[in-house]
Amino acid sequence: MRRLLAIALLVAVPAALRATVLVPIEFRELVTIASTIVHGRVVDVRADWVDGRRAIDTFVTVEANEYFKGGPGESVVVRVPGGQMGRYRTIFVGAPEFQRGDEVVLFLRGNPARGAIIVGLSQGAFRVAPDRTGRRVVTSPVLLGTSLDRPEPIVRGDPSRRPLAVDAFRELVKRVIAGGAR
Amino acid sequence: MKRIRALAVVAALVLSAPAVSAYLKLGTHVGANLVPLHWGAFPIRYFVTNRDIAGVTAPQLQQAVAGAIATWSGVRDVSISSQFVGFTGASPISGDGMTVIGFQNRPDLDLVLGSTSYTVDSVTGEVIESDIFLNSIFPWSVASGGEEGRQDVQSIALHELGHLLGLGHSALGETDLFGGGRRVLGAESVMFPIAFPAGNLNRALHADDVAGLSDVYGSDAFRASTGSITGRVTKNGSGVLGAHIVAFNPESGTLVGGFSLTPDGAFTIGGLEPGLHVVRAEPLDDGDPGSFIDSPQPIDLDFRPAIYSRLVSVPKGGTANGVEVKVTPK
Repeated sequence: MRRLLAIALLVAVPAALRATVLVPIEFRELVTIASTIVHGRVVDVRADWVDGRRAIDTFVTVEANEYFKGGPGESVVVRVPGGQMGRYRTIFVGAPEFQRGDEVVLFLRGNPARGAIIVGLSQGAFRVAPDRTGRRVVTSPVLLGTSLDRPEPIVRGDPSRRPLAVDAFRELVKRVIAGGAR
Repeated sequence: MKRIRALAVVAALVLSAPAVSAYLKLGTHVGANLVPLHWGAFPIRYFVTNRDIAGVTAPQLQQAVAGAIATWSGVRDVSISSQFVGFTGASPISGDGMTVIGFQNRPDLDLVLGSTSYTVDSVTGEVIESDIFLNSIFPWSVASGGEEGRQDVQSIALHELGHLLGLGHSALGETDLFGGGRRVLGAESVMFPIAFPAGNLNRALHADDVAGLSDVYGSDAFRASTGSITGRVTKNGSGVLGAHIVAFNPESGTLVGGFSLTPDGAFTIGGLEPGLHVVRAEPLDDGDPGSFIDSPQPIDLDFRPAIYSRLVSVPKGGTANGVEVKVTPK
C-alpha cells in the first residue's frame, strides 16, 4: 500500500518541482495527521496558566489567508506549550515560538475554537518569508526524493534543494491529500 | 516494506548563544540580556515517575536515567552532579517545583519521542526546575544491547539530559532518504535532533558533546588543555547568518560543530584538541533551521558548502583567529 501511494505521488507531483519526486513519510504524515492546515499571519500571542496553574501555555491567534486543509473560520487559535507569566517563564524545548506579524503555514490538529495544537511541535510549523527576489517562500525546504529502492544521501548545500514558493508548497500539500485519499 | 520514519527527539527552540559560544546553548532573556540556561547549584535533585509501561518498569527507567546521567557526569574537567530523590506520581510536564523525569502518554505528540522543559525565573535567570518526558505511546526498551523495534531509554534520556544541562542541538548528523522515509546514517553528537531507527543504541558522548558541556560547565583545566577557532563565514563579502561550521581533526577523526550566530557571519568553535583542523561551512538546508537557531533575522540557506583554504593550527589553551570561510550562492 505504501509503495502504491509513493508511486502515485511520483506521478502526481507537478513536474515543476523536480523531474520526479517522492514526498517522504514525515511530510505525508504531517499532511495526513493534520485536520487543519492554515497559511496566515500571527495577530495575537498571549500566555496563560493552564492545568490548574501548574503549567503555562501560549495561545497564538492566526488570521487565515487560506486553508490548505480544513478551514474553521477567519482565524484559528493555536495552543503552544510554554510561555511567560509574570516573572516565571516555561520553556518547552521543541515548541516553536511566535511573534505578532509572523507569516506561517501551520499543520494543526484538535479543536481550533479551543486551541488547536501543532502536529509534531515545530515539525508542523513552517515559516514564510520573502526570498531575495521578493517571492514568498516557505523557508524550511521540503526534502523530496526520487527513488523508493535506492538510498539517496541528503547532502547539505545541494543546489537543487531550494525553499518552495507558497504556491508550490500549497500544491504539494494538495497532491499529498489527493494521493492519501486513494 | 519496512517503515522508516525520522522522529524528532526534540525539535525547535534554541536561543541565540553568546558570541563566544563554542556550541549552541539554550538561553533565556534576563532584562535586555540573553543568558545561557545553566544550573547554578549542584547536585540537581530529580525524581523519576513511578509508572511502569510495557517493557520498562519504573526501577528500570531509573537505572537507565542514572546511566545516562553518569555518562554526562563522567566528562573530564567538568563539575556537575545529581541526586535521585525518589519515585513520584507527579507529571513530567508540569511546573510544580520538582525536576521529574519519566514517561507520559501523549498521543497528541505522536511525532515526538520525548522533550525537555524548564521553568525559569526571568528576573534572575535561575532554573527553578526542568522536566523530561518520554512519550509512552512508543515502544521502549532498556535491554543492554537494544531491542528491535523499540527505542532505547538510555539513549534518548542521554539526549534529553543534554538539554536539561543547557545544550541545544548539534547538526553533526548524516541522513538519507530510503524506502520512502528519512533515515539517520550516523551522528557525531548525541544532541543531533533526529533519533536513530528504533533498536539502535546511542549511549556514548562524542567530542562535540564534550565540547558543548565543557563550554557551559568547563573548568580552567579544560580551557587550558583545548583550543578554539574564530572567524567568519562570508558570501560575496557579506556575513552569512546561521551557517553550520565543522572543525575536523584528521589525526583523531573528531568533529566539533558551531554556528555563525551574528549577521556578520562570526563564529567560534571551542573545546578543540590542539593540532591541525579542516574547517568547513555548510547551510542548514535539510530541515528546519529553527530547530537549531532562534533568530529574528532569516537564516541564510542559499549557499554551497565550502572548505577553508588552509589547515588551521589550533594552539593548546589558545585561539586560531581570522578564519574566513568564503561561500558562494547555490
